[in-house]
Amino acid sequence: MASGQESSGTTLMDLITSDPATAASAAPTPAPAAAPSTLGKPVATDRKSKRATLTQIQNDTIAAAKALNPVRAIPQRQRKKPVSYAQLVRSIHELAATSDQKSSQKQLVQHVFPKLAVYNSVDPSVAPSLLMLHQQCEDRNVLRYVYYYLARILSDGGSQGLSPGGGIPTPNWDALADIDAVGGVTRADVIPRIVNQLTADATNADPEFHARRLAALKALTSTSASSSEILEKLYEIVFGILEKVGDAKQKRRKGLFGKQGGDKESNTRSNLQYAALSALRRLPLDPGNPAFLHRAIQGISFADPVAVRHALAIISDVATRDPYSVAMALEKHIEHGGALHDILHLHDVLARVSLARLCHSLSRARALDERPDITSQFSSLLYQLLLDPSDRVCFEAILCVLGKFDNTERTEERAAGWIRLTREILKLPEAPSVTLKDSDNPTAKVNTVKPSSKAKRPQPLIKLVMRRLESSFRSFSRPVLHAAARVVQEMGKSRAAAYALGLYDVDEGIQLHAYSENAESLDSEFNSSSQSEGTRKTVPVSNGPGGMDTIAGLLASLLEVVRTTVACECVYVRAMVIKALIWMQNPHESLEELQSIIACELSDPAWPSALLNDILLTLHARFKATPDMAVTLLEIARIFATKVPGKIDADVLQLLWKTCLVGAGPEGKHTALEAVTIVLDLPPPHPGSMLGLTSVDRVSASDPKSALALQRLVQAAVWFLGENANYAASEYAWESATPPGTALMMLDADKMVAAASSRNPTLAGALTRLQRCAFSGSWEVRIIAAQALITIAIRSGEPYRLQIYEFLHALSLGGVQSQFSESQISNGEDQGASGTGLGSLISPMLKVLDEMYRAQDDLIRDMRNHDNNKQEWTDEELKKLYETHEKLLNLVSLFCYVPRAKYLPLGPTSAKLIEIYRNRHNISTSTGLNDPAVATGISDLVYGISELVYESKEAEKESDAIDPELAMAWAAGLEDGLWGKNAPAMEKVNEFLAGAGTDAPDVEEEENITSRPSVTYDDLWAKSILETYEAEEDDARSSGTSSPESTGSVETSISSHFGGMSYPSLFSSRPSGYGVSQNSESRSGNNGRRFSNTSTGGPTFEGIGSPVREEPPSYSSSVLQRFESLENPLAGRGGQSFGSQDEDAGSQNPQFGKALYDFTAGGDDELSLTAGEEVEIDYEVDGWYYVKKKRPGRDGRMGGLVPVLYVSSS
Amino acid sequence: MLLAVLFTNTEGNILVERFQGVPTEERLHWRSFLVKLGADNLRRAKNEELFVASHKSVYIVYTMLGDVSIYVVGKDEYDELTLSEVIYVITSSVKDACGKPPTERLFLDKYGKICLCLDEVVWKGLLENTDKSRIRRLTRLKPPTDV
Repeated sequence: MASGQESSGTTLMDLITSDPATAASAAPTPAPAAAPSTLGKPVATDRKSKRATLTQIQNDTIAAAKALNPVRAIPQRQRKKPVSYAQLVRSIHELAATSDQKSSQKQLVQHVFPKLAVYNSVDPSVAPSLLMLHQQCEDRNVLRYVYYYLARILSDGGSQGLSPGGGIPTPNWDALADIDAVGGVTRADVIPRIVNQLTADATNADPEFHARRLAALKALTSTSASSSEILEKLYEIVFGILEKVGDAKQKRRKGLFGKQGGDKESNTRSNLQYAALSALRRLPLDPGNPAFLHRAIQGISFADPVAVRHALAIISDVATRDPYSVAMALEKHIEHGGALHDILHLHDVLARVSLARLCHSLSRARALDERPDITSQFSSLLYQLLLDPSDRVCFEAILCVLGKFDNTERTEERAAGWIRLTREILKLPEAPSVTLKDSDNPTAKVNTVKPSSKAKRPQPLIKLVMRRLESSFRSFSRPVLHAAARVVQEMGKSRAAAYALGLYDVDEGIQLHAYSENAESLDSEFNSSSQSEGTRKTVPVSNGPGGMDTIAGLLASLLEVVRTTVACECVYVRAMVIKALIWMQNPHESLEELQSIIACELSDPAWPSALLNDILLTLHARFKATPDMAVTLLEIARIFATKVPGKIDADVLQLLWKTCLVGAGPEGKHTALEAVTIVLDLPPPHPGSMLGLTSVDRVSASDPKSALALQRLVQAAVWFLGENANYAASEYAWESATPPGTALMMLDADKMVAAASSRNPTLAGALTRLQRCAFSGSWEVRIIAAQALITIAIRSGEPYRLQIYEFLHALSLGGVQSQFSESQISNGEDQGASGTGLGSLISPMLKVLDEMYRAQDDLIRDMRNHDNNKQEWTDEELKKLYETHEKLLNLVSLFCYVPRAKYLPLGPTSAKLIEIYRNRHNISTSTGLNDPAVATGISDLVYGISELVYESKEAEKESDAIDPELAMAWAAGLEDGLWGKNAPAMEKVNEFLAGAGTDAPDVEEEENITSRPSVTYDDLWAKSILETYEAEEDDARSSGTSSPESTGSVETSISSHFGGMSYPSLFSSRPSGYGVSQNSESRSGNNGRRFSNTSTGGPTFEGIGSPVREEPPSYSSSVLQRFESLENPLAGRGGQSFGSQDEDAGSQNPQFGKALYDFTAGGDDELSLTAGEEVEIDYEVDGWYYVKKKRPGRDGRMGGLVPVLYVSSS
Repeated sequence: MLLAVLFTNTEGNILVERFQGVPTEERLHWRSFLVKLGADNLRRAKNEELFVASHKSVYIVYTMLGDVSIYVVGKDEYDELTLSEVIYVITSSVKDACGKPPTERLFLDKYGKICLCLDEVVWKGLLENTDKSRIRRLTRLKPPTDV
């Protein structure tokens, strides 16, 4: 809070007037106290409550006077009462009238004006008195204050009575003036008068008036930039002054700062130049105006160092927009011995910083490609700044060389920067050691990195920079350390960019040039050419003899120094060091050292969470730069998840997972998913056990708060797993590469699991973890795990779907609970009456699956009937089929996103029939985007959109797996488009990457870390879901804007945290799992409407959403159905099989076939085959043939199951 | 851009603040953030020992001078090192105005003078004058170079 003012109950005014020691000698200012409540809090200035505000102030005054509470309670001294604002103003009015008297002036300067400064704005009604003083008073000190307050009145925004001044809050004066409370004077009344009077001052050329002229000009620049009239006047004044004094040639007295000397005229001129350029700097940039540029460039040769600084700042700003004209205008200054070179010796750090930026923008400007002579001059000047004694200037020069100019990051520019740094050579002109000059610079540490004797020798930039940085890392100043680490980080960024572009073919091992004297002429040629070509063309460094340093060696020694800096006691420096190390980490280097550093660091409780999240974002940025590092970075992220679960933002972590997973490429996906899900394998935190603090794998969640946070992380991980397991495993129901064998798998659960894991270990592993989570863990985790499972069930083909079906069924009954829970550590929570307590949650999921299976069975039966009767499908039948298809799609879409155009809830066999129907009726397939489930699922958006893009590209081609190209496209597309939408965490990342963000930091208050009123990713997500559902009632397609329920209040944030991760499923945004039945009730109406929208007038669906069917479908019945279908060879025909619908109906006759490929039996029922073997096909079931061999195989077996596709039936 | 200059006493009461380009609703956050930083780190700090912090791309340099904590916040070209320069100028002119590292009382006695100095040092979010004697001249309404 604002500085504990409340606790002490004092204000600044109390503080100032509380000490009698000085007040005793002062003229008495007795008064009732005015004590507005708190510093910095705007006083309510609503127009409606103006009277109320007034009385409020009155009351405050009285109350404060009564409960006067001086800060310095020094009992023996007499206490003084604070002065009220009104009192001060009255004194000003009175004293202004008698300003010719010495006592009045003294009073004003010593008491009234200083105390008025305490308030954060000045009442316009004071202006007349101030203006009177301005005209009549002669006293310099009084006048100085008058200018100060006039400037403050001018700069006051007026709206809230808040100016940049700060201090005790004051009311909105204009509002008060309207009710005639303070004399009825508004800003609008006084500002023209003030401006007129100041303008008169500023244009007064009387030498006696000189100082006031400067002060008036300065005060005038305080006006807000919105008033164009005043701005115009200001331009006029400034150019008027520069017209007179700008052209006069004069020699700068180097390093002279306000010292006596020089003639009166030139001093006056120099002062005016300073004032004019200072004012010009505060005026809006006018890049197109040649006069503007001309005046600024004149400023480079001015005598006043501050004027030169402003001139350079203006020019470097203009140069970013119009490099060509700036370069042309600077042509004669850049020549050797020109004004720009003089700035190297100028005693003003910021001037040299501006010079570096100017040189950078001009040396890189495309517009100057035609003039290599100019650009090379600017870059050589920039390289000379690397030797600057001030760290600030040197670092700016390094950053400029590295291509880090502003926050617009361009990979090419950064890559070029790295090459520039590693390839280019600084060759000093004959100017003697620059480093030894300006050593009297008061603040900059003079780190003379290079003995002047060597200064003449050309030096590779990298060497200079490395030495400079190493010496900076030995500094004791925290800002220097921080800045040096930041420079290293930027270096890492440029290096990563160079690697990413492949510009930098691994030659860090080569030796740097060693420059002997006799090679100098050769060098200079090489030097000039390389500079002129810049880095657009990579100039290979010839391997000079005798050099011992390699870039790799230099980097290694630098990094050693950087690592030791981790010992700094300031966490911010350490954070910057870690970021630097992350950036300097290369994909092929061992990361153990970095990992242990980070693990060690995170054990320190001093880390604020904002900083840790910053580092996580750095990981993200690092990944974007080098996708190869996904797994490495995930490893690091895992340390964060385990060590400081309470401090990191689950959303940021999740985003990192996602990005890494998508970017990891086809081979890396499994590893990436493993790295994520390892969070789930962590043992639950044991309170009190603090063993192994430095162990990476141990969870340090010793207090309830971080245990809760870990819980959230686990939730996030579970959700993530459900959403992305299919992607990671490349297993999609609609792209199933291998034929499913549903019914067969039903025979034996163990075998099913075995077959599943042999087919796709990634997905099987994910399933196992999710199943465990659905049993153990808190109820939040269990709910999400169940939802994750259904997502996978819907998206995967067999046998996974069936496996999950069986599992969920068992879960809803709670029957298996005991069996599983024995093996799990109980978390002490009551599991609820219905076993896992998930029954009500799971039953709708089971119903969906039931619907799907039932519909599949119906389809098989219908197809068999048609085949047997040799009947064509009629349009009616097709329509019915299509409606079922759509209905199921809609149902499924409520749980998770599936690509509507591809997803076949009725199984692959339905594809043909549906295609026929669609073609007949011209139904477009790409309706997926209008699906609310798509609109709400953020992570799915990414997948969904690219999927659709992909589809549209390769509509004809049958895709059997996600190809690597697509994965790369995702990785590349991560930049903006796909991720840009609906993802606040992504905004966070982008903002971070862009380096934006002035927004204020949150101060963590330990108590309410979870109830921060900030809107999190989850909240927004939950919001969008709620909205969509609500909007659906009106319009199925609108996504809605903001609804009252969805404000990011503390309540929603908590509820959404407890309600799980808020994903696009039925039950997401509700606080708990037991409200499901009401949920589905309210939802069923929507369902009906939705279905009637999409299905063409079909019967209203009363499926899963309906609360009527309370009892779960009988498991045994469905199992029976399966068994039937297994035992009846007819029923099995064409069931789930892939392409078996092409088979003819003559299945009763014995069939023969030939093995196409080798097949190794995966279980007892299966039969190994050798390619070319002749077999007799007994019957087919769901993609499998039961075949008999003519003679027993090597394993001695005659008959068994083989995949249909392995056998060509004759 | 120099976003903020803030002076507080040892108890965290704000004595002087100058914000530039910080929205009103964020100022409160900045105040509490800075005061907390100071409370955490400035307890045993030496006079004019520099401390650094950052938040996103915003840099903070702060120090202790007598009984007064001084914070400066900046971004872009006002990075840690520039802020160190700024804080150096501020501390030296405060010392100049007070004659020594100020106690809180002394600081408040010289409040008006310090405000004027600050006005010469930081002007519309940019560092203006850096030289001590020049600042002293300007606060007395004398031109920077004597005529």
